Amino acid sequence: MKHPSETQLALLAGGDLAGYRERWRVARHVAQCGDCQAEMNSLRDASEQVRGLAAELPKDLNWNRLAGEMTGNIRVGLAAGEAIARFDKPAARRLRLGWNAALVLTCATAVFLVAFWISLPQPQAEHLMAAFKRIRTERIGSFVRTPAPPQDEVVLEATSSSIEVKENGRTMSLTHPHSDGATVSVSLQGSAGVRYVDADTGQVTTNKVYYAEP
Amino acid sequence: MPSRSICGVLALAGLCAGAAHAAAVLKIDLPKDSPVVVLSADPGDSSETARGGAMLLDLHAMLSLRNSTQRRIRGVTLVVTAQDVTPGGKGSVSIASDVGPEETFPVRVDLRLLRPLQGSANVPVSIGLDGVLFEDLSFYGPDKLSSRRTMTLAEFEARRDRKYFKSLLAEGGPERLRQEIVESMARQADRPSLDVQVVRGGRATNLEAEKQVQFAFLKLPDSPVEPTEGVARIAGNEVRAPRLEVKNRSDRAIRYLEMGWILRDHSGGEFLAGSVPAELNLAPGQKSPILESTTLKFPQRGSSTLAIEGMTGFISSVEYADGTVWIPSRTDLGSVELQRVIGPSGEEQRLVQIYRKKGIRALVAELNKF
Repeated sequence: MKHPSETQLALLAGGDLAGYRERWRVARHVAQCGDCQAEMNSLRDASEQVRGLAAELPKDLNWNRLAGEMTGNIRVGLAAGEAIARFDKPAARRLRLGWNAALVLTCATAVFLVAFWISLPQPQAEHLMAAFKRIRTERIGSFVRTPAPPQDEVVLEATSSSIEVKENGRTMSLTHPHSDGATVSVSLQGSAGVRYVDADTGQVTTNKVYYAEP
Repeated sequence: MPSRSICGVLALAGLCAGAAHAAAVLKIDLPKDSPVVVLSADPGDSSETARGGAMLLDLHAMLSLRNSTQRRIRGVTLVVTAQDVTPGGKGSVSIASDVGPEETFPVRVDLRLLRPLQGSANVPVSIGLDGVLFEDLSFYGPDKLSSRRTMTLAEFEARRDRKYFKSLLAEGGPERLRQEIVESMARQADRPSLDVQVVRGGRATNLEAEKQVQFAFLKLPDSPVEPTEGVARIAGNEVRAPRLEVKNRSDRAIRYLEMGWILRDHSGGEFLAGSVPAELNLAPGQKSPILESTTLKFPQRGSSTLAIEGMTGFISSVEYADGTVWIPSRTDLGSVELQRVIGPSGEEQRLVQIYRKKGIRALVAELNKF
């Protein structure tokens, strides 16, 4: 005995199977076949559940409009997916190239800056640092309110030819004639001095420079 | 009656060198009741030139001052400032000389200013008076640079040394005096000297490991202050943050002292590095710490770098609360350790120069003036 198809059983369960002869033949088989009867009962239960759910929907629901909106949403989603797919691949290639170029440029800049800084004479380096510090402290508004960490800085220098006080790359020196008898001294409280006998005047002369803590 | 107030503005305009053109202004401003007055101010061969990205002002001014009082002057200190260049710094020029009433005396000011090209063309350099010390040790002036103490100590050293040389003259005549002067010249020629930098901040920048080194102390028998302990941190050619403790062993209160600081390098050479001054209030028998956060740095000279191995301290001057001072005696300074590193006093240098230029007779005549 040939079993009816699942479609035929579903149409019979919903009362939609067309043709009297066809409907009689399938119904007769279902009455004699336990398997097909169980399958049709299952289909009838599902159909009853769908009817129950449909009863909960608003009465004035426009099924045509809902179907149209769903179709439209699906089309928009498909179109967007295609557009992203076309856009993503070349963009990824451009991003990798950009990062590589930036990396090379950063390395080159770092090498240049290190070489520049190393080759810069110390006074110019100090002057540059002082200029940066002035820019930072004079032109960046509220940022300057955060006090900069204290940095080591040569503020006084005593040599056999002069004594100097330095400040922000600027220097004030008191010079003295080269003399074997010049006595150079520094004081840890912020002064440097030299004492010598002036060959012209015969006077004992003491030059000093002082640095006042801000 | 000459005016005691001079506010001279000397424009050193048109001091051109090469392509650079600039002008500097030297402003001399003494108080109205100043015991010295300015007679003239000669700018000499002062110049202002461009050096790379900076302007260099070389000022070689010779001032002529007159003692307008009826007392003998022993010292004058002028304060030199250039606010546009170093607002936090200043300089001073002190003259130790014996100037009688109404006598004139010169003061040389050799100043060099280095500043960026931008900014004002004129750099006002101001010269004022910080103090005048008279023969009776009285003082006039604002004393903002503690020039009273400095000049008083110098005057005490001068009196000590003149007394010493006069005693040699009295004992052994001109030949004994000549012998001592020649020995002094030899010591001055042999005395080592170092370039020194004072670094603010206190962080050791040397690559070598930092170590803490104890001070050794030279005990001067007559010193009213005894250093009891001290340490400093050393890294290669840098020495920083000395911490000392001193005890007043006199029966008078002390308000200021200065400790000389001798460094020893790895080869055994010794150098006078500087001094550690301290303003304090030290009652008799009391101990007090002296702390400094400054770093001293000794730049490399040629191919050799100073490697500091040890330190020695000694009390070089003391000021009591009543304003009188103590300085080491000639006997103290005659010790082997001090004699090879301590420079002679200014007065001893002056007497040596008189001998060099004019001979023993002129030196004897100079000593007999006092």
